Amino acid sequence: MKALCWMGTGKVEVHNVADPKILNPHDAIIKVTRTAICGSDLHLFDGFIPTMEEGDILGHEFMGIVEETGKEVSNLQRGDRVVVPFTIACGSCEFCKKKLWSACDNTNPNAHLMEAAYGYSGSGLFGYSHMMGGYAGGQAQYVRVPFANVGPLKIESDLPDEKVLFLSDIFPTGYMAAENAQIQEDDTVAVWGCGPVGQFAIASAFMLGAARVIAIDRFQERLDLARSIGAITVDYSEEDVRVLTALKDLTGGIGPDACIDAVGLEAHSTELQGIYDVVKTKLLLEQDRPSVLRQAIQAVRKGGTVSIPGVYGGLLDKVPFGAAFGKGVTMKMGQTNMHTYMKPLLARIEKGQIDPSYIISHRIGLDRAPELYKIWRDKKESVTKIVIDPWAS
Amino acid sequence: MSDALQEKPNAESRPISSSAAIIIEGRYMAPPQDGDGKVWVRTTALVGAEPDPLYKLWRDVENAPLWQEQITAVTRTGDTTSHWTMRSGDKTIEWDSEILADEPGHRITWRSIGGDSENAGEVIFDPAPGNRGTIVIVLQEFRMSKLTSMWETILGRNPKQSVIENLRHFKALAETGEIPRIEGQPHGPRGMVAGMKRSIYGETVATPPGETQAASMGGGRR
Repeated sequence: MKALCWMGTGKVEVHNVADPKILNPHDAIIKVTRTAICGSDLHLFDGFIPTMEEGDILGHEFMGIVEETGKEVSNLQRGDRVVVPFTIACGSCEFCKKKLWSACDNTNPNAHLMEAAYGYSGSGLFGYSHMMGGYAGGQAQYVRVPFANVGPLKIESDLPDEKVLFLSDIFPTGYMAAENAQIQEDDTVAVWGCGPVGQFAIASAFMLGAARVIAIDRFQERLDLARSIGAITVDYSEEDVRVLTALKDLTGGIGPDACIDAVGLEAHSTELQGIYDVVKTKLLLEQDRPSVLRQAIQAVRKGGTVSIPGVYGGLLDKVPFGAAFGKGVTMKMGQTNMHTYMKPLLARIEKGQIDPSYIISHRIGLDRAPELYKIWRDKKESVTKIVIDPWAS
Repeated sequence: MSDALQEKPNAESRPISSSAAIIIEGRYMAPPQDGDGKVWVRTTALVGAEPDPLYKLWRDVENAPLWQEQITAVTRTGDTTSHWTMRSGDKTIEWDSEILADEPGHRITWRSIGGDSENAGEVIFDPAPGNRGTIVIVLQEFRMSKLTSMWETILGRNPKQSVIENLRHFKALAETGEIPRIEGQPHGPRGMVAGMKRSIYGETVATPPGETQAASMGGGRR
């Protein structure tokens, strides 16, 4: 089959590789009909996530048709159409029982690597480094899905792939970000980053009762999308725009009730701190560039909540913990507990409450994926979301 | 005990002691340290099952190759004795083992009685506080120098890590009926340092099968 492989920092290539096989009783093999490039794939592309290996197949947002099932998979049949969550969960450990699916104890074959870095290991993820399990990803024609009895969501309506594909990661991730923001009715919510997760965080914040959502970014195509679903936008790259001042101005001086950092570890900043982070990460003295996190903590109102769907990987410098303590801030974060959100969000799509495909800007075959990784990384061609048909020529 | 604190609705009745010596008279005890030609490892796992089936799974020594790394065969040689074969890289070692204490549903201790490995161990199945399953505690010692242990680490798997991984496999098998694995999945061309990286990631050690051939033949749909 054809698959997109990580071949080193800044280098991805399409290779012909072996087809995946059933390896465990709860596995299924899925023929991938649509897959997408995630913003967090760019962290891998840019070499920010350790324990990648040449030849690793990327991709954790995908859906398709069940091709084969392991002998313990009784809920799926060949021919079923499914969306697969990017976190792999066993469904029976203490964490799965608590519905903390992304903290599953039994799905990371390399748990010891993550234990060494984080104290404990989270669940395995598709195509996201050996520390996170080393599983082959879904930017390929076929993919092996472990614990297929637990994860995949059957799509029984005739909704097109594009409307349900984002249930594999970014729609639930944006939704959990809004839920983690502990939004009360009539709240004002600020969202940093209007990429796909930010878009769904904005949409979800409105669904959960927010009265005003303020969206912060510097790319017009993203700000346009944010305004199209009702947000007030702040372009921090405009001359004289200061985000903290803007947020005070837009909240009568008290600050947003909740701040959502949908940017994560590769934040761009026009301020001095941005230069500081770039220098320190280049010198390997810092692993992440947390300028958005710093700003979100600074901006949130007293007693407010900072919700962090953006990915962080390592040790962060100069995080204003004193400000967080001084204001009594709540912080919530983490990989998405996918399995909790997929069904209810599918129901919203089926009812026509939201059509997640509005963020798609590029539709390509697998062969153009290496080129589009670069284009998206370099923020050219107004990319908002890239969807791949791995069977298109 | 002082009656200063009356209100603790979910408190466990505090264990006074447990034999792998994690708790003695209410105090936490640190694990034994390496020395005198021995290396020690103590590891624990919360497993979502009653102690009894877990004890049985562990006590069934002939099925150990299903969940213990690099163990290729175990043969019972008596009520309490067995013969173990282990393959590490291209080296095969064998030894005999004897069960000393055997408390069904609670505790097993063993030691080697001749052969290529000198080891002893204990496993305890303690009910977890708050009815959340069983805390499995493993204490294992190997008679080997630190140098040998380092050498083993370079060749494949640190013996201590192996004990930790085996308990992880045991838990996964008990809770889900399989052991997570990535061996045998597709990948693109590997680079120059792939072998070294795989060794660092621990991926050169084969993941145990997790199920018997007989079990995998029953109830198949394929």
